[in-house]
Amino acid sequence: MTAIGIAGVDRFTAKAGTRRQAHAPSLVATPGAAAGWLLLRRAIRLLSIGLYAGFFLLPIAFLVTLTFKTRDEVLLGQFLTSKPTLENWWRAFQFINLTGFIGHSLAIACASAAVTLIVTTPATYAVARLRHGEFVGSFALSSFIPPPVVALLPLFFLMRWLGLLNTFAGMIVVYAFMNAPVAYWLLRGFVKKIPAALDEAAWIDGAGFAKTFFVINLPLLAPGVVATGLICLILSYNEFLFASLFAQDDSVRGLTVAISLFQGDRFVNFGQMAVASIAGILPIYLIAFVFQNRLVGGLVAGSEK
Amino acid sequence: MGELFPALPRGVGGDGQRRAAWFMLLPLVVGLLVFAIYPSVYVLGLSFTKSTLGQPFKTWIGWSNYRWLAFGGDEIFIASLSRAALFSFGVALVELWLGLWLAVLLASLRRAGRLIRSVMLLPLMTPPVLVGVAWKLLLAPGGGLVNGKLLAWGFIGAPISFLGTQPWAIFSIMIADAWQWTPFVAILAYAALRQVPEDIVEAAKLDGATERAIFWKILLPLAAPSLLAIFVLRLIMAFKTFDLLYVLTFGGPGDATDMAGFAIWRTALRNFDVGTAAAQTVMFALFVSILILPFLWLHRRVEERAV
Repeated sequence: MTAIGIAGVDRFTAKAGTRRQAHAPSLVATPGAAAGWLLLRRAIRLLSIGLYAGFFLLPIAFLVTLTFKTRDEVLLGQFLTSKPTLENWWRAFQFINLTGFIGHSLAIACASAAVTLIVTTPATYAVARLRHGEFVGSFALSSFIPPPVVALLPLFFLMRWLGLLNTFAGMIVVYAFMNAPVAYWLLRGFVKKIPAALDEAAWIDGAGFAKTFFVINLPLLAPGVVATGLICLILSYNEFLFASLFAQDDSVRGLTVAISLFQGDRFVNFGQMAVASIAGILPIYLIAFVFQNRLVGGLVAGSEK
Repeated sequence: MGELFPALPRGVGGDGQRRAAWFMLLPLVVGLLVFAIYPSVYVLGLSFTKSTLGQPFKTWIGWSNYRWLAFGGDEIFIASLSRAALFSFGVALVELWLGLWLAVLLASLRRAGRLIRSVMLLPLMTPPVLVGVAWKLLLAPGGGLVNGKLLAWGFIGAPISFLGTQPWAIFSIMIADAWQWTPFVAILAYAALRQVPEDIVEAAKLDGATERAIFWKILLPLAAPSLLAIFVLRLIMAFKTFDLLYVLTFGGPGDATDMAGFAIWRTALRNFDVGTAAAQTVMFALFVSILILPFLWLHRRVEERAV
């Protein structure tokens, strides 16, 4: 299951190999024209890949170079800098509580992802394997359709009533359930991949439903649970709309809201803005880099039947 | 099952199984009640009132909010609905096209494919607020790379305010959105293409089909249900776009890039007219459902036919 990403690539590279062999006979038949055609096609392919890679890297790369530019050099609007400086970095960390904002975001994201998993993993198992409450699952999925702005005001009034505005607990609960439909959708794919015969064997041996779930299924589900948890973590870390209304106080404010507030601030220049952005993305990119196969596997699992 | 395994313990397939399942479902059910059903009911109630943030349900005013919205009281909101629809269908289509192309490219590469897959994950993981910041800096009239290069190469005489003039503003938002979500579409499309049984592709190859024919006549039709699902998913997500707008244009210039979700937020949290915002929310939710349900229905039909 972890191997979905890797195995996928391997299978495709194997396919690409056979494809190349399939071209061989035509090469023999009309050597000049076909070889030229093949070269041209390969050139177009490489060019498109280059364009895509450039397109995806450019904004991030530009942000990185901005962090090393002085105020005057920023205004030139060029990519590279002739005299890089670290001033933006120490200024940004000195004047903006960056570590605090990133810390708040990470803490809320991790905790909410954990709650999402605790709530949805058994629920998904109940629907996909125990075959009860199918409509709860369908309802969870359909609750993903309306835009989150629908829940904005009702949750605001509810949280104010409960005294949960500007608290970690409030944000954790909101995000935990905001991501529950996504988690259900992803986990369903993983649960369905575990053979039902395993559960039946456990039941015949006298294990109860809880024991079967915890002892037999959960270890097998672990890679899927981890992938789902990571995706929920990233979704929470990136969220902005709810955070902008429910967590306005400095003591809980997360990174996305903090950055949005620098927008009109005359004291934060482009360079420092770039530093804050890069520092804020870094934890997520580290996760993406370390767990890339798992993340791809997780994303794909939900879409596969 | 009961007859097959008469000795099964603790009511497998019967009441015991039902009880265990509902016990496992309970937290999710409570969560859905609080986070899906309660907000819908609350917003619906709120939409018939005059309310502020400090005083929800101040006075009951019946259909007034809806009447005002429907009969031209708020032309900006009505326009923002259609703008949201155009934007969502636009980006979903463009991203499906680019993503599918990227998926096919990925499939045809060896080592470079793995590299680009790592690069591709980055936009997908970037917080949308920061996607907005990155593109805002890139497109800025003073100090932005795009204007800087265009000026240096002599294509333009004066900087273009990409986010402050139409039609540049809406295109800029769409490009930023495509930057973030094309990789997501590509990853899912790649998986969809991979699900096409290999023996069919092999058989076609043996019969001498070209790569182009294999793609158009075999891969694409067989992956169509999954691709439609990806399209619907992106459509649903595109209707939720908020962060990008907030950072890039704040709905401007004028109200040229104002989309429904953002318009509602403005009514509620800038004009503090919570009752009207609730009515707008109900209209928006209905609008989105009406536009998306046919595609969900179509997806179900296509899938049934495929089976």
